[in-house]
Parts: sequence; C-alpha cells; structure tokens
Amino acid sequence: MGAHLADHPAPAILAEVQPASLPRKELVHHGRDFHWITEKICGIVEGPTPTWWWWCFGVAAFVASFTVAGLTYLVGTGVGVWGHANPVNWAWDIVNFVFWIGIGHAGTLISAILCLLRQKWRTSINRASEAMTIFAVACAAIFPVFHVGRIWMAWYLFPIPNSNYIWQNFRSPLEWDVFAVSTYGTVSVLFWYIGLIPDLGTLRDRFFTVGRIWRARIYGFFAMGWRGSNRHWSNYEMAYLILAGISTPLVLSVHTIVSFDFAVSLLPGWHTTIFPPYFVAGAIFSGFGMVMTLMLPLRAIFRLEDLITQYHIDNMCKITLATGTMVGYAYSIEFFIAWYGSNPYEGFAFINRAFGHYAWAYWIMVTCNVITPQFFWFKAVRQNTTLVWCLAIMVNVGMWFERFVIIVTSLARDFLPSSWGYYSPSVVEIFTFFGTFGVFSFLFLLFIRFVPIMPMSEVKAVTAAADPHGPHPH
Amino acid sequence: MSAPAPIAAPRTGTALGIGAAGIALTAVGVFVSGLEKAATSWLIALTFWIGIGIGMLLLVMIHHIFDAGWSTVIRRQYEHALAAFKWLALLFVPLLLLAWLQPGLIWGWMNLATPLHDGHGTVGTDVLYLKKSGFLNRDMFTGCTAAFFGIWIGLSYFFRRNSFSQDGDGDVKWTLSNRKFAAAGLPLTALSLTFAIIFWVKSLEYHWFSTMYGVWFFAGCMRAALSTGVIIMVWLWNRGDYRGILNNNHLHCIGQLMLSFTVFWAYVTFSQYFLIWNANVPEETFWYNLREMNNSDGQPNQWKWVGLTLLFGHFFLPFLLLLWYPLKLSKKWIPRVGAWIIFIFFLDLCYNIMPAFKDHHGDPEPFLQPGLLWTLAATAGIGGVCVWAYLRSFATTKLIPIRDPRIVESLTHHEANAP
Repeated sequence: MGAHLADHPAPAILAEVQPASLPRKELVHHGRDFHWITEKICGIVEGPTPTWWWWCFGVAAFVASFTVAGLTYLVGTGVGVWGHANPVNWAWDIVNFVFWIGIGHAGTLISAILCLLRQKWRTSINRASEAMTIFAVACAAIFPVFHVGRIWMAWYLFPIPNSNYIWQNFRSPLEWDVFAVSTYGTVSVLFWYIGLIPDLGTLRDRFFTVGRIWRARIYGFFAMGWRGSNRHWSNYEMAYLILAGISTPLVLSVHTIVSFDFAVSLLPGWHTTIFPPYFVAGAIFSGFGMVMTLMLPLRAIFRLEDLITQYHIDNMCKITLATGTMVGYAYSIEFFIAWYGSNPYEGFAFINRAFGHYAWAYWIMVTCNVITPQFFWFKAVRQNTTLVWCLAIMVNVGMWFERFVIIVTSLARDFLPSSWGYYSPSVVEIFTFFGTFGVFSFLFLLFIRFVPIMPMSEVKAVTAAADPHGPHPH
Repeated sequence: MSAPAPIAAPRTGTALGIGAAGIALTAVGVFVSGLEKAATSWLIALTFWIGIGIGMLLLVMIHHIFDAGWSTVIRRQYEHALAAFKWLALLFVPLLLLAWLQPGLIWGWMNLATPLHDGHGTVGTDVLYLKKSGFLNRDMFTGCTAAFFGIWIGLSYFFRRNSFSQDGDGDVKWTLSNRKFAAAGLPLTALSLTFAIIFWVKSLEYHWFSTMYGVWFFAGCMRAALSTGVIIMVWLWNRGDYRGILNNNHLHCIGQLMLSFTVFWAYVTFSQYFLIWNANVPEETFWYNLREMNNSDGQPNQWKWVGLTLLFGHFFLPFLLLLWYPLKLSKKWIPRVGAWIIFIFFLDLCYNIMPAFKDHHGDPEPFLQPGLLWTLAATAGIGGVCVWAYLRSFATTKLIPIRDPRIVESLTHHEANAP
C-alpha cells in the first residue's frame, strides 16, 4: 500500500534543525534503577503489616458495618425505610450510585485512554486507579440492587427465561444500566488482573526465594504460570492493548447510559441533549478527584515521591482543571438554553436550583466543581500537596452534590405544584451511604497490603535506564 | 546522499484567481436567484471555512497544552492556515451589512415584521422571540460576531508570531508563551464557537434549542480540520517538501485522530437525535420533522436522504475505512478519506442551514436546486481566499519549526515511543 514515507533523501531544511532546550520532565526521580523499584514496590507487600494499617482497617470495617446494618434493616423491613416520598421517589440511592460509578471512571481513563494516547506518566498511578474503579463499581452496585426491594428477586434484572414469562423492559435505560455496568465491571476486573500477572509472578518468585511457601503458592496460583518469557510478554502486551481498546468505548458508554437514566425523561432539568458528554466529563473529573485523594496520602506514607513526582501531581491537577471547566461549560450552557428555550418549566427548574429550597446544594456544587479546580491554574497550589488533597476532597464533595442537585431538585418541584415536597434522607439512607466509604476503604486497604500498588515493569519502562539512548541500569 | 533539487514555491495567484471567480459568481447569483439565496450560500460557505479554521486553531492549542512532540512538523501548516481568519472576518462583513440593511432576510428574528411560518402573527408578536430578544438582537449579533473574530484572530496572531519568532532566535520563551495562550485560548474558543454557531446557524430556527449544538459544531470542526491537515501533508509530500520529514507514524496518528473524532461526532449527533426522538416533545422534534417528513404536497422530502447520507457517509463509511491500519498509512487513500469527510462536513452544514428557509407552503427549500450552484461558488470563492492566505504565509517562513524544542521528537517519531 505505498512506500514508507521516510525512505527519501532528507531535505535541506533538516540541516537547519537546532532545537531549543526544554527537557522533558523525568518520570522517575533520582535515577532510581530497576532493583530499587522492585524492592520499593514489593517491600510494601512483603514487609510487616504497619500499625497504622491495622487501625485504618479496623475503622474501615467499622464504618462498613453501617452499610451492612442499613441494608440488613432495609431487607428486613422494606424500601420504605429510605426517605423517599412523593414526589421524590428517587434520591440518595441513585445519587450514590452515580457518584460511585463516576469515581470509577478515572481508573479506566488512566489505564485505557491514557495508554492509547501513549501518556507514559500514567504508569505510577494506573494500578491503584484501576483498583479504585473496581471497588467504586462494587459500592455503586449496592444501591440499585437493594433498591429493587426484594433483593432475592434481583436476578430478574437479567433477561433469564423464567416460569412467569416476565421480561425486562428493554426500553428502560435502567435495564441498559444493568448490562453496561456489569460489562464495565467485568472488563475492569479483567484489565486490572491482566496487568497484575507479571507482578504476581515477581512476588511468587521472591516469596519462594525466602521460603514463604504458602504465600508463594497463592501468588503463583494467580500468576497463572507467568515465567516472563518473550512469548509471555508478547501475549501480555497484546492482551493489554486489546483490553485498553475495549475499555475505552466502554467507559464512555457506561456514563452515557447513566446520563440516559435522566435525559430520556421529560422532566425539566433532566431532559437535555448535552447530558451524555457532560456526565462523562463529570465522571472523569470526580474520578481524578478520588485518585488524588487516595494517591497523595499513599505517596507520603510509603515515601513514593520518586515514583509519583510533582509532574504526576501537576498532570492530575491539570486534568481535573480541564474536566472541571468542561463541567462548568455544561452548567452554563444548560442554564443558558433553559432561558433561551423559553420553556417556562425548564426555566423554572434552573431558577429553582439556584435560588429555591435547595439553593445551598446548588452553590456547594458550583463552588466545588467550577471554582475549586480553577485554583489548579497556579503552580504554587499544585506544588502544595496538602492543599491539592483538600481541593481533591472538595471535588469529591462537589460531584456528590451535582448528582443530588440534578436528581432531587427536579423531582421535588415537578409539574404538579400540589405534590411538591422537600426531600430529607432517613437515618438508614445516611448510614448506608456513609458505610460505603468504609466498604471502599476496606477493599482499598486490602489492595495496598496484598497487591503491588504500581505495575513494576511499566514503571521500569519509563525510567532513564530503560531508554536505549540513556544511562544503563546498574 | 545527493542534495535534493530545490522545490518551487507554490503559486498563490491561482488560488486568488479561483477565490475572485467564486466570489464573482456568487455575486451573479444575487441577480439570478435573489439576495436571499446568495446570502444563504455565503453563510454556508463562510461557516464551512470558519469551521475548518476553528478546528485548526484548536489543534494548535491542543498541541501546545499537551506539550506534544509528534505533531510539531504538522503544526506549522496549521499555523499558516490560521492566517485566513482576518480575511474570513472581512468576508463576513457582507452578512453583517445585510443584517443591518436588509434585516430579516437571513435571520428572520432580526425583523419584527417577519411573518411566522405557521401564519399566526409576526416575530414581533411571538412570545418565544420576545423572551429571548435580549440575546437575539442585531446589536448582540454584531458585537458578539466581532468579539468571536477578535478572539480567533488574536489567538492566531500570537501563536503564529511566537512560532515564527522561534525560528529566528530559538528562544524557549516562545514555546512557554504559546502554552499559556493555549491554556487561556481553549476555553475562550470553546465558548466563542458555541455562541457563534448559536447566533449564525441555530438561530435561523430560533424556536429550536439543543444544549449539544456547540459540541456538535466542535466535533465537525475538528474532523474537517484534521482532514484538511492530512490533505496538506500529503500534498507537501507529493511536492517533495515533506519527503524525509513526514513518516508513516505521523499519518497513522492523524488517521487515529480522524477515527476518534468520527466516533465522537457520531456519539454527539446520535445523542442529540436519540434524546429528542425519545422524548418526542413537539418543541424539539419539529427541527428533525422538517428534515424527515414528507412535504405538504405529500412528496418525499429531499432532506431525509441527506440525513441518511450523513448517517452512512459521515459515520459508517469513514469509520470502517479508518479502522483499517494500512489505509491510514496510504498517501493515496488517506487524503481521499479526508476529502470525503470535508465534503460531508459541508453537507452537514447544508443540512443544518438550508431547511431553515421555507417556501410559501412552509416546506423547506429542497437540497438539489439551482441555488446550490451559488453555494458551491461561494465555497470555492471563500476557499480560494483561504488557500491564498495559507500559501502567502507558507512562502514567508521555514517549512518546519526548526528551533522548536520538540522538533527532533517529531522528526524521529516512531511507534517505539509507545510505553
């Protein structure tokens, strides 16, 4: 199909090429070599369990028990224990579902989309972000599954032939959610696991060497016979690339379908065409907020400054700034078109959001999601990790409020003024949601204790030592 | 290796001649088909070329904000193309003059006496207009249009100045300055392109609204700019300028971006269509009904077939072609796919603009009509001016940014760069 385009004499202009000096930032500081990276990452798993870990684990388990208690009470009593009442029959359950699903998106973005875009800086944060995705999806799934009420009938969500010939409503985006989220969860687990295999093989060998046979066997089981041969690496790279290719449209489709949950309706404030890309941008925004919330403490605790450098933090801040600004664009366009469209109901929905009973929630949302990320314009802010962490927390808070504002304000002031109401969550709802942070932390703590938190081979590949034109490894 | 023979500079006169001829032919259209038809043609052609320009401006800014390496040799051609903005602003003046001298001729809301299509009253008595008259009025239209061009011309000026200056002194400050302009310019351009398309195109049917419209235009601009870019690259390669500079991996990356934005365009367009179709609210569906349903005489509406052409021609065909790895590397086929995408972008704009003009039955003007000739003439005319502006800039600077900090990365761009 045509000759290689570069097989031609070099033009005279090439003799004039004399680039200005602007070196690229190092992705691994202090010239850390392959051995140091292996020892550092494996050391977290191999070393004795730190005291702080036990304390955190205990607190996480305690907080998670709130979800267990809340759900047990709900199953034993009925969905009525949640604060839903006409006209707000959908509130914290769907808010929390969308909140957690959105958080998961940054993991796939970092592992899949940044991989396809050849962004090498992703290597230090992709493993933990992927784990975050899986745990966030698990937290998200709790809410719709338990919202069905009779949890033992939840399998009806899947189109399995049954004796009553009951079929799902395939026209409902909630049913699309079932397929989208379950596919997303499955592919995310596969993607995460495929990336883990070489590192599990490393841990197996290291545990075997020091005589910790049971650990070696467990890691060996999950390493699936990894030997690091050329053939294994070739298959691994191809599998990783294919999964990245599959995950990319999948991650976009999942939050698009989540946005359809609202946009296909006729409710003012929900039915707007920009919802799909707006929800995707918001999901990435919230996901990066959570990545920074998790990675910055890990960086400090495990002294990972040489692997998660200021450059990584800068990039995460800038993506948060970009996606936060996109979300701000969507808020503005929604508000503008609500006015421009001249539909009184649509106009009222937005005026009500900003100045009605839930105005406090709206302005928290705007402050956290639009104003907060603007601080990331400033280098001094990005270089202050404590401040970055606080701003990331605000992003998390803001994105929860975004979903609350969208869902509750539109329902609480629907077409019938006679049915207007004010939604307040019940204690059971608050307990259940609060507990999901414990569930998430519980799983994440297990992850950092038993799984290498960074893909060692990928991190090594971006060091100066791996560059054939750079210094050689020691 | 023997030194290659010097390559003659491209001739700018031909492009300017085509531009003048196209503009003159469009002027003839005023006398043959009337001012409204010629002005509509002018609007379509201008939006088309401005869209390509905006896409190129965005690509330059995206290059800088990402500190991209591979696209440095390509960026220079986009910078040349940005020279067209000031001429496009000048070519927009006739539409502004029409807005003031013949209000309501193109944008019906500019004349309160314009009758509504349903025959009930005029724009001045239309509550839907009166509510948005604070935004849709001639002063705002004129002021905002001037501001949009001010933003695009201003940004283009700084990006071009900084890049060309660096060829001379090799100072890295120009790169850092461009990065800052890109950071500020991206949100400004996003807002300006959104409101430009609302003013110029969406307001042709001012009853209709869609929050996705700005995103739709953004997707189209990016596709058209990438496609124009790939045609320029292969043209320069065929001339000999880019031999030894452009390699297969540059083409592969541009092809991947073309594929990505093909999917993005489909995603945006489908989402808009699907959400409006599914909700089935008359205040939104009328826009699509006008383009899909039979005319009042029961005859099929031509726009239905244009819509289907967009579906298959703007998504499925380029999507399937661009999935094919060898095609992305083929200097024979990739510019053809690019040309097709540019043509369909033009068709997409026709689909959005032309049906807004209706006959006395309230049916949209058909697509295939003698007036289409003036649209093609205007497109060729404005295109000639844009190409002339590009070639004039091309002749004045280095072929590639020789002192750019990432120029070597770009010249040695190969797939092994992947992690």
